[in-house]
Amino acid sequence: MSELSEQQVALISAYIKQHGIAQDELHDDLLDHVCTSIERLMDDGKNFEDAFEQTIKLFGPGGLKQVQQQTFELLTEMNETMKKVTFLFGLTSTFLLLAGTIFKLQHWFGAGLMIVVGAGLLAAGYLPMVLYHKLKESPSNERLVHVAGYLGMSLATVGALFKIMHWPGAGVMLIAGLAFLGFIYVPIYYFKKYQTSVNKPITLTTSLVALTCLVVVFALVNVNSSVKFDQGLAFAEQQSMTDSYTDRSTKMYVALEDVSAASDIKSVSQSGWQQLEEIKIHLITTAEGISRAEAQTMPLAHMGKKYNYDIPTHILFGDEGSEFNIGAIGEALRKVDDGLQGVYSEEVRPLVNSSLTADLSIMFDHNGQSVDWETFHFYQRPLIGVIGHISKLQIDIRQAEYQALMYLLSQPAASDPPSGG
Amino acid sequence: MYICFMYSNELVKGTLKTIVLSLLAKHSRMYGYEITQHVKEQTGGKIQLTEGALYPLLHRLEADGLLLTEKVNIGKRVRKYYKLTKTGSETAGSLVAEFKEFTQTMGKLIDSFIYKPQYNV
Repeated sequence: MSELSEQQVALISAYIKQHGIAQDELHDDLLDHVCTSIERLMDDGKNFEDAFEQTIKLFGPGGLKQVQQQTFELLTEMNETMKKVTFLFGLTSTFLLLAGTIFKLQHWFGAGLMIVVGAGLLAAGYLPMVLYHKLKESPSNERLVHVAGYLGMSLATVGALFKIMHWPGAGVMLIAGLAFLGFIYVPIYYFKKYQTSVNKPITLTTSLVALTCLVVVFALVNVNSSVKFDQGLAFAEQQSMTDSYTDRSTKMYVALEDVSAASDIKSVSQSGWQQLEEIKIHLITTAEGISRAEAQTMPLAHMGKKYNYDIPTHILFGDEGSEFNIGAIGEALRKVDDGLQGVYSEEVRPLVNSSLTADLSIMFDHNGQSVDWETFHFYQRPLIGVIGHISKLQIDIRQAEYQALMYLLSQPAASDPPSGG
Repeated sequence: MYICFMYSNELVKGTLKTIVLSLLAKHSRMYGYEITQHVKEQTGGKIQLTEGALYPLLHRLEADGLLLTEKVNIGKRVRKYYKLTKTGSETAGSLVAEFKEFTQTMGKLIDSFIYKPQYNV
């Protein structure tokens, strides 16, 4: 019985490794197989070279590499459970996302939870499993395309989730995700399909439609942030109005130094004004990631996030218990209004048309639909608009304060201390 | 895949697992080359397992917990013997029983289809 020499075994081992068998276990199997086969053939009178050649031929046209490929495929094949789980993930996430969207549109309870779970399942469950399957199926030169597609889809999904939930960072993720899909995945995927397609016009049009859809989504995402207004002029105006009211009120406070009603006016309007100021500072510090002192002095035009509308919407509408919730704005204005009403006599009170609460009513949007004032002024509005409108409300407070002081001055008794009357 | 020379690939593909497991059920342990030679001899060369079909399957069955391996050093190389685990021998039993019944059923079916017209002539 023939036995191969150490050199011959080493030679065969090198041959197997050279032909792409990277796996040790498989290498051992094949080495023993080839050696045994050669030994038997040599028993039958063949020389080593012929026996070697004949043995290798038996591996078929794909050669050794194919054995490894086949082993890998069999070992990593998606089993039935995995297929079922993938199917279940896909179905559940689609259902939750659709139901969540309907609930959201109808303002029903539970929309947020459904969308979060649905998008989570899609991005962390279904998409990775599909990627795994795709990677196994496709030749190595196509794998990067699938990875790009996966990255694009999960980023777009998570971005859309953040967008719907008004969490910060949605814009960047959506744009990155859509860029991956639009510039890498869709073109390459459809180009490959086009090359092998039987019906080229149909493939061409579907790819164009897919690209157009992406562009439309992209445009819709960005259209909100392109709201521009003449910020420089508007804020200079606001500043000069504030200054003018503060100036005149200061003079009147001097004149009404001994009147207790005047100090009431001062404290109630100042506290309302300050409350709005705190909300503004919170919005700016959160959006810009800067300190309180910086937020107070930074001009709006210099803010990097001035067109961001996720952060203000998230802060004002995200957490109802927060002291910076939209409710706090209305509350501050009503408090000032209530406090100032007390200054006026019973007869005058109904005649004083408060500019403060006039704002807190139903508005009409550009489609003629009625919306509440919170939504109209603050929901999905860019930071610059939100800050601008809060500043406007602060001016309203200053104006109402001034008006109340004017009234007080015009009352003959008011210039005397109430105790002396 | 290059399983055999005699029968069509499609026909033998589904039976490969049954062949390997039932062989290992009869012999306590076998190595890869031995399995191919055994199948070749037993079938008179009508079925020849190739390396490209056999080793991937052996590795998959090992990963699934149906087979165990024993390594024996032979000079400079290692020989891997494959043997059934408990699950493996149970699976072998049920696969063989299923296949036997299948061939009987197929036999009846084919007989009724093909051979009857000849009798009528």
